[in-house]
Amino acid sequence: MRNSSWKWVWIPVLVLLLFFGGLSVSAQTGDLIYDEAGLLSSEEVQELEALAEQYGAEQNVDFLFLSTDSTEGQSIEGYMGDFFDDRADSTGHEDAVLLTIDIGGREVYLAGFGTAERTLDAERVDLVLDRIIPEMQSGDYANAFEETVVTSSEYMEYRPGVNPESIFLKTWFHLAIALLLAGIIVGSMLYNAGGRVTTTPGTYVDRDHTRVRSQDDRFRNKTVTRSKIPKNKDGGGFGGGGGMTGGGRSFSGGGRSF
Amino acid sequence: MVIHYKCPNCGADMAFDSESGHLSCPSCGHEENIETFPEQNIERKFDEGEAKEYHCENCGAIILTEAETTATHCSFCGAPVVLADRLTGDLAPAKVIPFTVSKDEAVAAFKKWTRGGRLTPRGFTSGDRIKKMTGMYVPFWLYDIEGEAHIQAIGTQVRTYQSGDTIYTETNFYDVFREIDLSYLKVPADASEKMDDVLMDKLEPYDYSELKDFRMPYLAGYLAEKYDFDDEQLFSRVESKIVPYIDAYISTTISGYSSVSYTNKQIDAQKKKVYYTLFPVWMVYYDFDNKEHTFAMNGQTGKVVGKPPISIGKVALWFTGIAASSFVAMKAIAFAVGGVLW
Repeated sequence: MRNSSWKWVWIPVLVLLLFFGGLSVSAQTGDLIYDEAGLLSSEEVQELEALAEQYGAEQNVDFLFLSTDSTEGQSIEGYMGDFFDDRADSTGHEDAVLLTIDIGGREVYLAGFGTAERTLDAERVDLVLDRIIPEMQSGDYANAFEETVVTSSEYMEYRPGVNPESIFLKTWFHLAIALLLAGIIVGSMLYNAGGRVTTTPGTYVDRDHTRVRSQDDRFRNKTVTRSKIPKNKDGGGFGGGGGMTGGGRSFSGGGRSF
Repeated sequence: MVIHYKCPNCGADMAFDSESGHLSCPSCGHEENIETFPEQNIERKFDEGEAKEYHCENCGAIILTEAETTATHCSFCGAPVVLADRLTGDLAPAKVIPFTVSKDEAVAAFKKWTRGGRLTPRGFTSGDRIKKMTGMYVPFWLYDIEGEAHIQAIGTQVRTYQSGDTIYTETNFYDVFREIDLSYLKVPADASEKMDDVLMDKLEPYDYSELKDFRMPYLAGYLAEKYDFDDEQLFSRVESKIVPYIDAYISTTISGYSSVSYTNKQIDAQKKKVYYTLFPVWMVYYDFDNKEHTFAMNGQTGKVVGKPPISIGKVALWFTGIAASSFVAMKAIAFAVGGVLW
């Protein structure tokens, strides 16, 4: 009796699932995720599409994911540029953040178009790349894109040109300085509550007779130590700053090998 | 020997007046210059023999003093007296800084000081609990110190530069020699056992331009003490006081290095001259919370020192106030610059 009633409940759920599944399949072809290299599972595509849609609405940009097996002899920047020109021409969406993964060349490129060229400038692109490179290296591309969307949105809240990871903008830093300042001021108030020593080394000195009678500074030896400037171990960065697509759209961006 | 200074005008006992710097008569207001005080008005009375018992010349009462006291009041009739034999021979002070802060000014200055206490309990700042206020000449030794310092040190200069992908850090070492003549004038150390050294050190500095040759009339109307420690005994204390000054001076003579480490630092300091001097100090005894707090005020400059009671509540209030407002201020700046609050 009980079992059979539960069976009935399942039917609308299944219908709903089919409905949404069908929706996101149509979104996949037209909208935000262009997984041509097949790096993501279909569940991941659905989740990421929803995520990108939600964050994109907040920031008024399209968060785009593009993967490919081969850039067909072009640089990843050129390939990405051509893709974006096509998409922008057909949809009219000029403001976008585009993460391109060339799984054949093992390169990743992040670019900001339109308003995102300012709100996600090259410096911020670099910071995002720093965060996603470990995930790229471990092959966790879904999380890499999720991280890109979330972190970029966070960064885009900040005024353009400001380094969003600056220590001076961190709350823990503000708190630490506030406590330190209060500690120093109240501590010195306590220390000086009983009266301060106001004599200085100069109070009793006899300036006419205190002097250096003789002095000598003689060079003895010197030592030189060398240290190599550490190389960036996350692979080489390239294309820093951004550029212009074949269709004349300028963008901010940066890429890495992984 | 007991000394009274009698008013040439009316015969009352005169006392030192901090405002005019003269002896002044409390009953007729007559003033007399200390340097030209007529000899016949100084009433001296020698006590017989060894017995250190002094009698007031006014009322005949025995003057009760401690062994260190050199000036006091007759406890019976209140007349100011100076005990002269405790101020002669080896015990004769060479210099004195007279009081320039009168008792009324001292009371007012102390009340103002308690109101300014930002961490003291409310009752302390508003209450009027001065129990006793005593003007006292405290014995000090002033040392003129002469010496020399021989310094050997190693100084380093560090330079970094980059060539290709290598950072070079070049450190140059220098042998540094200095020979320095040192001279410090009139460095004070309090010679009274009763007085707290830290408290007395904080009362410094005194203005030495008002340092006067000692004359007994300055003491009339105040308490005064003779020294418990002689200049030999106190020299080590004054040495420990000036060594930081000397170190500070030495480091100013060695400049242009990123680090200096001393390999040999030899400082010889001898006393060239000592002056037995009396400094003016107002001692304030204050009752609060069933406890007596002692404060001292520089009788020349009005500087107040002493440990006031501390209110934990006010400390916490100041701490949270400063912390919260600086946090808000930094957040506001961060928002103005970055455009994001959190």
